Amino acid sequence: MKHKITENEIIKMTNQVFEESFEIETEKLQPKMNIFEDLGLDSLDIVDLIVALQQKFDVKIRNDERVRDIRTLEDVYRFIIILKKEVASLGTE
Amino acid sequence: MKLIVFNIAFYFVFCLYSAIAIPVLTLLIACFSLVMSHRNTMKWFRRAIRWYGMLVIKVLPFPLIRIYYKDYEKIAEPGPYIFVCNHRSATDPFLMACLPYEFIQVVNIWPFRLPVLGIYARWAGYLSINEMPFKQFSKQAVKLLRQGVSIIVFPEGTRSGGKSMGQFHGSIFRVAIEAQCQIVPVCISGNENIPPRGSFLLRPGKIKIHKLPTIKYEKFKDLKPFKLKNMVRNIISDEVAVMDRKE
Repeated sequence: MKHKITENEIIKMTNQVFEESFEIETEKLQPKMNIFEDLGLDSLDIVDLIVALQQKFDVKIRNDERVRDIRTLEDVYRFIIILKKEVASLGTE
Repeated sequence: MKLIVFNIAFYFVFCLYSAIAIPVLTLLIACFSLVMSHRNTMKWFRRAIRWYGMLVIKVLPFPLIRIYYKDYEKIAEPGPYIFVCNHRSATDPFLMACLPYEFIQVVNIWPFRLPVLGIYARWAGYLSINEMPFKQFSKQAVKLLRQGVSIIVFPEGTRSGGKSMGQFHGSIFRVAIEAQCQIVPVCISGNENIPPRGSFLLRPGKIKIHKLPTIKYEKFKDLKPFKLKNMVRNIISDEVAVMDRKE
């Protein structure tokens, strides 16, 4: 049986993506941080972020319009949590 | 009152100089193009733009605006280079005219919309980064670097208008990695109000420009673009802070 990922695990794994892909210090990874203004990501970095998140969580994000609304790290956590729930509900249907 | 007189005098001489120098230089380059290859014509065209800019920034506002360059002599390592600068004022692109190299600048959309100057920037091969997808930008930038043309870029993307420094956009750093091109950080301080953002009013002041040591490809070849852009940003930010303190 497949292990159901918890919200805390999602937050931890998302932070790992930021640490591994962008070498951002752990202390900077606070939920309210704006990923553009505070963490310094740009539109090209977002493409790298999407690829890394897809690999980490085994989900498809690339053409998801909701990515455009992401501003803070908390938005990223919430987006992945919703996405994982959607994937889980599709699996149970 | 003195400020108004200075500005009227500056803009009057600027228009007069432009009205004479631009047609004369254009005619000269047009004559050259009849006997020279396209590549050499472009070299002379960009050189002419440099001469024009140098006079605008060094001679016309003197003595109320003084410019101090540090380590601006030729770099020992052969070029081309990517010059990465902080961006506080609309005068920044003119200040770069003193770099003794053939170069183009990466600009926002608005400089291309300037009367006359915008057309010349386009002819010289300046890259309007917001008008093209990254792939096209990268292809054109790498092609220019391979021709030996250096690139000047303000990766904050817009003028800060003050002493703060915005985050860097990573496009040019991806190009530097792809083209294996060395990066030269350039720090500008003192021109926050020359002119202030949203105004044409030049204020007297002292502008300082420091060219920092070259960052060779070997030093950043293993870095990711995100790490590289922040490394260069930190180098510039630290030096600019020192320059601001010495004001």
